[in-house]
Amino acid sequence: MPLQKQRPQAVKAQAVKTTQNVGRAIIFDSGALISFTMAGLLEELRRLKGIFKGKFIIPEGVKKEVVDKPMTIKRFELEALKIKQLMDEKILELPSAYGVTHDQIHKGADEILRVANSTFIGHGKELHIIDFGEASTLALSRILTQKGITNVIAIDERTTRVLVEKPDNLKKILGNKLHTGVTAKQENYKFFKGFRIVRSAELAYVAWKKGLVRLKGDMVLDALLYAVKFKGAAISGDEIKEIKRIG
Amino acid sequence: MEEKENILNILKQTKEAIKNLDVVKLRELSNQTIHTASIHKDTDNISVAIIVYAIGKIIEEQTKNKECTIFCQNASVYIDNAIQALSKDDLKGFKTNLEQIIKSVNKLSPNLKSYIKEVFRGAKIDKATKIYEHGISMEQTAKMLGITMFELAGNVGESKISDTPETKTVNENERIKFIMDLFS
Repeated sequence: MPLQKQRPQAVKAQAVKTTQNVGRAIIFDSGALISFTMAGLLEELRRLKGIFKGKFIIPEGVKKEVVDKPMTIKRFELEALKIKQLMDEKILELPSAYGVTHDQIHKGADEILRVANSTFIGHGKELHIIDFGEASTLALSRILTQKGITNVIAIDERTTRVLVEKPDNLKKILGNKLHTGVTAKQENYKFFKGFRIVRSAELAYVAWKKGLVRLKGDMVLDALLYAVKFKGAAISGDEIKEIKRIG
Repeated sequence: MEEKENILNILKQTKEAIKNLDVVKLRELSNQTIHTASIHKDTDNISVAIIVYAIGKIIEEQTKNKECTIFCQNASVYIDNAIQALSKDDLKGFKTNLEQIIKSVNKLSPNLKSYIKEVFRGAKIDKATKIYEHGISMEQTAKMLGITMFELAGNVGESKISDTPETKTVNENERIKFIMDLFS
């Protein structure tokens, strides 16, 4: 409808919507942060945040996995401290930065867990495939979308991403490896539609493309992509070739 | 406890494999247990998988260290006791005997103790990687095995799990375009 023909209330509503739409966010799951940390790319993450017109967010459940828990284990204390430092610098922020409460996320995550963990059945039993931290990233994404904030989830682990983007592939993975017929409640698939996902690999690509990587030279992109792959990002060698072709 | 008969069968074969120093068989048995653990999230199955895998690794060390032989002999006795207990549905006895195998590590000489503790840690990470390969998420898997996601992520990255065709879900051009637009 042309703007001049709309009623005043409609114009006002549209203006509010436009104002809300300016927000954007990247929600980090544990794996993506672990890949950046272990590959020594936290400075690149800082620089990415520097050019991003939005916030980098981690839900409490993820903070627990990448800061609170490893902080108590000598082997990973340093990595935990480095991520905590990013939080202190507000490079990474909690969902409260968008006015989202822990209770809201908890409620959403519980629903996601209930649906996700009852979607696939093997040996007559519902397969519990994801946990709270992963579910909380999805829940937060849904809440931010409802608030009009464009967002993407950075997830490096395979299961949650495949569940969202191609659940039949997850059914195949489960069936192949469990050596049993796995059935799926396909009516649940639509529940996971609408999420956008990237991996640390694509974020590393952005850092490279925007000239934010400290190293220079022809081999840098290849090295970055393989570094995050070897630190746990679920990306295949073929997908790395595709990214390099995009260049 | 899920699939009691399966665990009994695995433990009986484990005992035999320890006797024959059959490391390959022990690895196979450990992997079989992982299928059940992935489905049922059953801690007993997970414990068996870790112990069987770790014993396989320790047997490989036997030629270098006689203490390893004694450790494996003791483990075999505890496994036998665990079989007897489980046959009588004595779950407490079953668990206690499995725990004894892990506790017996503390009786070893300092050098071997730290080595075998590391073997058990490695066994947990290896089993976690297998469970993740079965399609269970990284966080859920790490919690099941009591390891950190840092430990699991590194091992998963070294594996070929991400190179299976099912891992690819959307066109890479599309994903890159979306994230580049978000940064514009």
